[in-house]
Order: sequence, then structure tokens, then C-alpha cells
Amino acid sequence: MSDAFVVVSEASKAFVGVQALDRVNLSVGRGQIHALLGENGAGKSTLIKILTGVHQPDAGEVRLDGRPVRFRNPREAIGAGIGAVHQERNLITRFSIAENITLENPPRRFGMFDAAAAANATAKWLKLLGLELNPGTPVVRLSVAQMQLVEIAKALSLESRFLVLDEPTSSLTPHETRALFTVLRRLAQDGVAILFVSHKLEEVFELCSHVTVLRDGRNACASQPLAGLTRGDIVRLMIGREEAVFAAAPPASLGAAPALELRGVATALGHRDISLAVRGGEILGLYGLVGAGRSELARAVIGAARITGGEVLVQGRRARIRDVTAAVRRFGIGYVSEDRKGEGLILQLSVATNIAAAIWHRLARLLGFLTRRMQDAAATPFVRALDIRTPSLAQRVANLSGGNQQKVSVAKWLAAKSRILIVDEPTVGIDIRSKAFLHELLLRLARDGTAVLLISSDMPELIALADRIAVMKEFQVIDSFDNTRDYAAASARIMQAIHG
Amino acid sequence: MAVTVANARRARLPAALGGALRSNVAGLVIGIAVFTLAFALYTSGFTSRINIYSLSRSIGINGVVGLAMMAVLVTGGLNLALGAIGVCSAMVVGWALQALGLGVAPALLLGLIAGAALGAINGLIVVTTRLHSFVVTLATMSIFFGGMVLLSGAQGFNALPPGLTGFGRMRLFGMISPLLIVLLIVGFALFYLYRFTALGREMLAAGANPVAAKLAGLPVERLFVLCHALSGALGAVAGVLASLRNGAIVPSMAGPLGSDWLLPAFLIPVLGGTLLTGGEVSVLGTVLGAVFVEVMTSGLYMLQIGEFWIQTALGLVLLGAILLERARAGMALARGRQS
Repeated sequence: MSDAFVVVSEASKAFVGVQALDRVNLSVGRGQIHALLGENGAGKSTLIKILTGVHQPDAGEVRLDGRPVRFRNPREAIGAGIGAVHQERNLITRFSIAENITLENPPRRFGMFDAAAAANATAKWLKLLGLELNPGTPVVRLSVAQMQLVEIAKALSLESRFLVLDEPTSSLTPHETRALFTVLRRLAQDGVAILFVSHKLEEVFELCSHVTVLRDGRNACASQPLAGLTRGDIVRLMIGREEAVFAAAPPASLGAAPALELRGVATALGHRDISLAVRGGEILGLYGLVGAGRSELARAVIGAARITGGEVLVQGRRARIRDVTAAVRRFGIGYVSEDRKGEGLILQLSVATNIAAAIWHRLARLLGFLTRRMQDAAATPFVRALDIRTPSLAQRVANLSGGNQQKVSVAKWLAAKSRILIVDEPTVGIDIRSKAFLHELLLRLARDGTAVLLISSDMPELIALADRIAVMKEFQVIDSFDNTRDYAAASARIMQAIHG
Repeated sequence: MAVTVANARRARLPAALGGALRSNVAGLVIGIAVFTLAFALYTSGFTSRINIYSLSRSIGINGVVGLAMMAVLVTGGLNLALGAIGVCSAMVVGWALQALGLGVAPALLLGLIAGAALGAINGLIVVTTRLHSFVVTLATMSIFFGGMVLLSGAQGFNALPPGLTGFGRMRLFGMISPLLIVLLIVGFALFYLYRFTALGREMLAAGANPVAAKLAGLPVERLFVLCHALSGALGAVAGVLASLRNGAIVPSMAGPLGSDWLLPAFLIPVLGGTLLTGGEVSVLGTVLGAVFVEVMTSGLYMLQIGEFWIQTALGLVLLGAILLERARAGMALARGRQS
């Protein structure tokens, strides 16, 4: 490869007791969109952090444009023309979009921050990504997807020669993803080398020309052309075996009355005339673009936002859900938040604590007496059943992988024996193996009688799992239909509803 | 045994031992031993019965003050009105004894209720307005104290019943104040609460991440009010203990607006390993923190170092403890990220 721009050769990196990278190779050419794949914990993040100056390799070297480089910190990497969008959000939420995007190099006029120049510089990048936002808007008012796009715009604005994107589409809709891909292709044509990390293989095949797969810190393949490889090949490289074939059978029997029914519900958040019903035994998929009001609807149902009109029925009876405590304890509704780390889990506490928190009041004996042993006994069966990989029940949840963290947040509601489960984007940023496991789990739960409301922007996931699909747009339900699991038909109907 | 209640590293005995060594408990024990030895060698009278008696008394009082602050640090908030609540509650006890002519037990109970009620007011304001407890308790500190001075005309109560003053002057084994025993009882009660009850666990979980706790169905608002009420009730206990040392209940016993308690109130639990960010407490650490601070203060007094130098030293210890906590949290985070 004569025009290889970034070359990593035989890079190794160890942390206390863990060999994160073991003699890894990677070569990204100018104008190439190169996929970096691997399950969580395979070493992708470590490799990216070496490329962006966060970590330094123990052995091996990184060459940029033929010259060996060794970045001592992220600033040096940026200085060398490497831009990155990390998985974690790195925006200052109180600052405006323009201030964030020009943070590294703010335009000055008479020594003061030049807001107008910053806004101009920013508007160009926002437009490129199809973001119709005022550059002066504070980031705190943006949705998760918009924040992600702003972060991408920030990386683009550095006009880097090498761009690293770690899960850039995790909270984007197909529409926004397409706009991003258009931009990336244009950049590649201009000679920018791009390293693209994603769990969504569909995107990788659509966008990338070459692929490097990591498994357990080693190369499963290095810088191969993607042409000629199938999805099955990639999955085998990633997990070392075949992907489990997944086919959902329609439900055998359904509860008579819906477990959860909304009739003409309006909320203080702006929903109007929402009517939905989920029976025990089935999965209702809720699709919509980001900002369509799906998560907000979930919040209203569990009593975290005010319902201003219409009726909510639980198990066929009219329910006034005053707060989340009532939703969980009296009505048996569990909610798995899309913000797993911020809202779904108490990261600093243990696995057992997170699973048992919702049922402490039930476990406790006289005068609230409750020991760790009682809690552990209650949590253990679910750790086993969900195959949660943790050294012990006392392990902090923060130290688990994303997939195992998500299993913990679902286990909480299994322990609480919730009869209605609302899951919000359950597999975002989760490795393939855990994703398949969670899919089977949700299906099994439903078939065992739980009513599942699945909010997902992952269309293949939604169509594979849901028995019925409701489509939301602008805080209203605009279509709902029985899902035959025919991908082409269902996706066409959804897109027709939203864009038609 | 490590008593860092929310700490996850207590799976097995060796792990528990490792936890204790990493936590503040080991450091405090060593610190206490070193200071005690040094003061015993270089001062005359540090190990005298009278000094041990006065040490045990001040450890008892300031230990309860530290635990009272700890109860609200759990929420990630704080209680600047703690001293004011302590003084107000003690004044309620005095009033019940002298003006109402109640017996000792009902008067103490009334004081405890007053403390809990004032704390609950703090909690209710914090929860309903969503203001930070710093601002809220800064305001109520003045309101409670000012209200008390208005109602009492700044008149203290100095004719305490002999039973009460006798208890305050008692010496167990000739040198231990019963105030220390009160601290141990309160400590055991709190240890039990955080370790062995659903309520305690819910308080810690709510403090660690209020949003996640709320989505798990925990009544976070109610729990926060309870934490503040508990802090107030413990403040009342500390107020009564301080009155017993003085032999009278006077509005000025904790300085202007009760502010003399603030430094020990923060210093002691933070030294003990309680996180200012909430969700993690250490009862044993707080008790040891009180011992450490009082040993240090008393010894420095005996070396005839000026009062202001001692205050400076305590301030530096507080800052050092907070920086240490930060560093440790940062290290834990780095470990978590890498795995």
C-alpha cells in the first residue's frame, strides 16, 4: 500500500493485569473509509486512544504519513491532523453549539470571542450534516442525536487529515445517518483517511471499503478489503463462531385485556391523542425519529411526567399513576432507560444492589431488616439466568461491559416481577453476542406473559422482535399495524408513514 | 472490618481487609496512634485522667456532630443549619424542662422531635424548590437561629435538673465521659441503618444517583426529606450533649448562628471516607475521624500552640482529606475504565 497514511505496526498495550492490545496492526490509506470492528472489550477503544494520544503504546509504533509519531497527549494528536469523535460525549453543555465547535481555536476579534465569526464557521458544518439549528443554541437544549451530530461537526471543523469515529451513529436515525455518510464519502474523496467504528454491520457494508477486526486484543484480520467478505464472515471473525440464527415465532396466546392501554392520552410534554395497547405475551414496537416523543411518552406512562388528558388502563382497570414509585410498586411497570449509564444504573454501586434496589422494600423483614446475604440471594438467580459476566455480586456495575450492564438493568425488572416492561433503545452500543442474548430474552419474557413496549431506532431489531408496530411522529401516533416480520414490507410502511 | 457501607469490596475476608487498608480507616488508626504517642511523649498531662475525660467528652459531642452531617452528605447535599438546629433543639429541651415543667425523658423527646422537624423543613424546601441544599440551609440557618433568639429573648436555661447535669458530669472508670457512650450508641444505630435496613440502602442508592434510583421506583424525594430529618434529630442530640458539657443551655453555645460546628461537621465525616458527592458513608470512619480531630486539637493545645494555628491546621486537614478523596475516586475510575 503505497499511499497508506496511518500505519500501526505491532502495537501492544497492557493495563494493570490486562493485555488490552497484543501486537496489533492497522493500515488506513488516504481517501479510505476503514472499518474497525470487534466486540466490546476486544481492544477497539484502546487502539483509538493510542491513535488520538490518550494512551501511549508499550511496544510497536504508529506512523503518520511515513513518519513515526508518538503523541504524549490528545492536543499533540489534534495538532498532527487527527480528529476524533469518541463514544463518550465531550461537549460543554452550557456553551452554545458555536462555542463548542470552535472550542479548540476560538475566533477572536480585538482579543474577545467573536461570536459572529464562530457562528459563521459553525453554520457551514451544521448545514453539511443537515442540522437545522441556530449556532447560538446552548448544547444543553439539544437531543442526544443532535449532540452527537454537533460532536461530529466539531471533529470535521478541525479539517483533519485522519478522522476517527467511534460509534458515531449510535443515537442517530437512518435519515441523519445517511446525511453523515454523504459527508464522510465527500471527505474521503478529498483524501481524508477515515477510521469508522460501529456495531451496525449494515452501516459498515454500506460505507467502508476496508476492514480490521480485533478479537481479545489481537488482529482477527488486518486491513482487508471488504469486497468479497459476507456479513457471516465478519461475525465469525468478531466472535470466533457463527451468529445464532434468530427467528421469532408469533405469540401463541395473548392476555384477554391489554396489560397497558392508553386511550387518547395527552401529556404536559406535548403528546396529543395517543392510543396504544400492549397485551401480556406480545411486544409492541414503537418506532420514530429522534425527537418523535417516544421516550417522553414512556416517562409520562411511568409517572415521571404529567398526563393531562385521556385514560391510562393497567390490566384493564383505569390507573392514575402519581409517581414512578407507584408505577413500579403498585402497577408493576418497569422502565429500562436509553441512558443506561446516567439513568438506568447506579454505576458506583454493586451488581447485587442494582438488581435488588427495586425490591428492597419487599425483601425486608420486620422493621426493614435487610442483610446483604438476603439481597444477594434475591439477585443470584437473575445473574445466572441472564448469564451476567461479573467476578462477583459485589462488583461495581461501572466495571462491567456495556452488554452486561444492560443485562443488569433488565434483571432488576425480572427480580421485581414487572408485568409491563418498557425498554428504550436496549441494544445501543452493545456487542453482538449480548445483543442477540437481549433479543432472545425480551422475546422469551413476552412469551412468558410480560407485556413489552420496545422503543427502538434500530429497524432490523424492531421488525425482528415486535408483534405489532406503532410509528410516532411529532408526539403523535401516526400509524400502527401487525408486523408480519417481512422486513421489506414493514420498513417500507414505516418510512411511508414518516416521510410519505 | 471496613464499614464503608456502600463500598462493593467486602465480598470475602481478605478483600474486606484490603478494603480497610485502602480506605481511610487504616490511615486514621495509624494517625491516631502516631499523634497519641507523640503527645504522650512531648506534653505533660496528655494521658492524665482529666485530659482523657475531657477528650472523651469532646469526641462524644463532635462525633455526633460529624454523624449528623454525614446523614445529609448521603444525599450529595449538606446542612449548614446543623449548628442552628442543635442549639434550637437544646433550647426546646430547656424550655420544656423549665417553662413547661416536663420530666427529663419527655423534654428530651420533644427536643429530638424539634430537631427532626427543623431538618425535615430543610429537606422539604430542598425537594420542592430543587435548589441546592447549600443555599437552602444557609437561609434556614439564619431563620432558625434568629427565630429562636426572638422567641427566647436570648435567655438561656441554667437550672437543669440534677439528673441531667449529673449524667453530664459522670465519669466511667474514673476517666470516660458518658457522652462518648452516647456517640457509640448513635454510631451503632446508624451502622445498623445503613448496613441492615431497606431504608438505609434506599437512602444510599438515592444519594448515589437520584435519577436512576427514582426510575427504580425508590421514593427519592421522601428519602431525601428523611435524610435531612435524621440530620436534624442527630443535631438535637449533639445540642443536648454540648449543653451537658456546659452545664447550661445557652443560645451562644455553638457560636454565631451555630457556625462553630461547621468545621468539625465537615472535617470529621470527610476524614472518615464519606463522599461529598453522596451515596457512600462510613460510620466507623466518622467516629475515628472524631477521635483523630480531638486528639490532634487537644494535643496541640497542650503544646500551647495558639488557637488560630489550630484552626489553620484543621482547615488544612480538611482540604487534604478532600484532595485525597478526589485522588482515590480518580484512581478507582481509571481502574474501571481500563477493565
